[in-house]
Amino acid sequence: MQTQTVSPAKRSKKRPSKKKRAKKKKTEAERADRHALYERAVQDPATDAATLAKLYKSLRKKAPKSLREDFCGTATLSTEWVKGGKSRTAFGVDLDRPTLDWGIENNIGGLSTGAAARIQVIEGNVLDATGPHCDVTAALNFSYCCLKDRKTLVAYFRNVHRNMPEDGLFIMDVLGGSETMGEDENRHDLGEFTYRWKQHFFDPLTHEMRCSISFYFDDGSKLAPAFEYDWRLWTMPELCDALEEAGFSRVHRMWEKTDKRGNATGDFFEPKRVENQESWWTYLVAER
Amino acid sequence: MDLPGGGTLMAKPKKSKGKGKGRAKPKKKTIASRADRHKLYQAAVQSPEADVEFFSKVFKDLRGRTAKSMREDFCGTAYLSCTWADSKKSRSAVGIDLDQPTLDWGREHNLSTLSEAAQRRVQLVQGNVLDGLGDPTDITCALNFSYGVFKTREQLKRYFEVARERLVDDGVFITELYGGFDAIIESEEERELDGFTYVWQQAEYNPINHHTLCHIHFRFPDGSKIRKAFTYDWRLWTVPELRELLIEAGFSDTKVFWERTDEDGDGTGEYVATEEEENQDSWLVYVVGVK
Repeated sequence: MQTQTVSPAKRSKKRPSKKKRAKKKKTEAERADRHALYERAVQDPATDAATLAKLYKSLRKKAPKSLREDFCGTATLSTEWVKGGKSRTAFGVDLDRPTLDWGIENNIGGLSTGAAARIQVIEGNVLDATGPHCDVTAALNFSYCCLKDRKTLVAYFRNVHRNMPEDGLFIMDVLGGSETMGEDENRHDLGEFTYRWKQHFFDPLTHEMRCSISFYFDDGSKLAPAFEYDWRLWTMPELCDALEEAGFSRVHRMWEKTDKRGNATGDFFEPKRVENQESWWTYLVAER
Repeated sequence: MDLPGGGTLMAKPKKSKGKGKGRAKPKKKTIASRADRHKLYQAAVQSPEADVEFFSKVFKDLRGRTAKSMREDFCGTAYLSCTWADSKKSRSAVGIDLDQPTLDWGREHNLSTLSEAAQRRVQLVQGNVLDGLGDPTDITCALNFSYGVFKTREQLKRYFEVARERLVDDGVFITELYGGFDAIIESEEERELDGFTYVWQQAEYNPINHHTLCHIHFRFPDGSKIRKAFTYDWRLWTVPELRELLIEAGFSDTKVFWERTDEDGDGTGEYVATEEEENQDSWLVYVVGVK
């Protein structure tokens, strides 16, 4: 408001910068959508949906129909799941309303009316057991690591256990390896942007871990950090112990098969022993 | 494995293998055939004086009095029990181990070196630590990671419950743990010592259940060696797991002591209570349960 009364001299002085601002093109970071970048960088929902179905079928000898996606975020897995057939339904739960809204608009909004009608997402806490009993309950992308206290983790597992059918499966992913337990950083050039995963801190006394995801663009702009995580990095035996304590009758510790050259194949098996690696992720499958 | 402090590293012997019995060839005996694996173990991985000093300080700081009685679970050769009882006239120790031959070795080589009075203050019991044998003590310790033989939460919790129960009202339980990036991979580390080489081998580490299979080997200047002098089949527990289980077992509080380092990053042998640390290649901590 003050600017309306300033002298012409002063105005003219200011003008160049105003002009500059008005003309300035938005940076790539300003135009970017962090959820879209996240989905491109770290998610592969079609593969996840296929793997969940495969794991279910191998244990239950039938195709799963309903999926519950805990910590669903943008519900991209649920979206992919219902694309798999007319009998498939999905139920997503997440605490964050804006993220759910983004998913409703950008993911569920892109489905046919019929498929969209088979997804329900709710804003809620995974610690409150609500919603339908589903064949598969999935907790992916390590989001359960935000539950840092063992009692809370077991309470969450109890809720999952209570809220699933007799032949239901609970499938979660696990992150591990010697290098996940320290500071680390890796970048992947994905063409239009570079994705950076950074582990800022890991405390061996508590297994608390702080990490972030950032995006860097060709014009020098960045979203850094785009996502931040304050986790407890749960180990595979800790998760298995907690699942058993929560009532699950059997827990399968899966591992990804590699080909002769050591490349991941996307197929999982249940070994008794494997050699540790610098970094790995895999699935745990718990039977009710 | 080069651990900070160069102190106690591995567990006590569990198996007493006969050695040096093959006398078929009349050639000169190798150093290995004349060596005593318990003696080598004690020289390579134990430093009971440092443990006694640490126990004394921690107990005094926490309880405001001098610790007198100590129980050494998984005591093996009872090197620590003997050192403890010898450190003050008011101190006594009870050592408990499953393996009678190892206890016998300790009686002959460690206990017998003490004064008669000090010897009377040490009691060695062949038994299971889960049976809570002996009188209640000020301190119960379980060093050298031997509790790693308890591979389920249920078993380890049971052990912690017994340990707590057999402490006096203001008693303190002290155990230790190793970890770090290098602890969770297959590896082999050597350390040159006086007259022999100590080899710590992590033959297996299984990330899906944290079971680890480790060996201690000794090598000598004449080329002879004792392979698999000691073998350990453990679950390598983590610090948060131990602390959670101690609390579940009834301890009112837990503390973790981390070794201080000097400007060059070398261990100073001084352990301080801490709540947050950065991970490193290799570390050793004391974990303390306060009754």
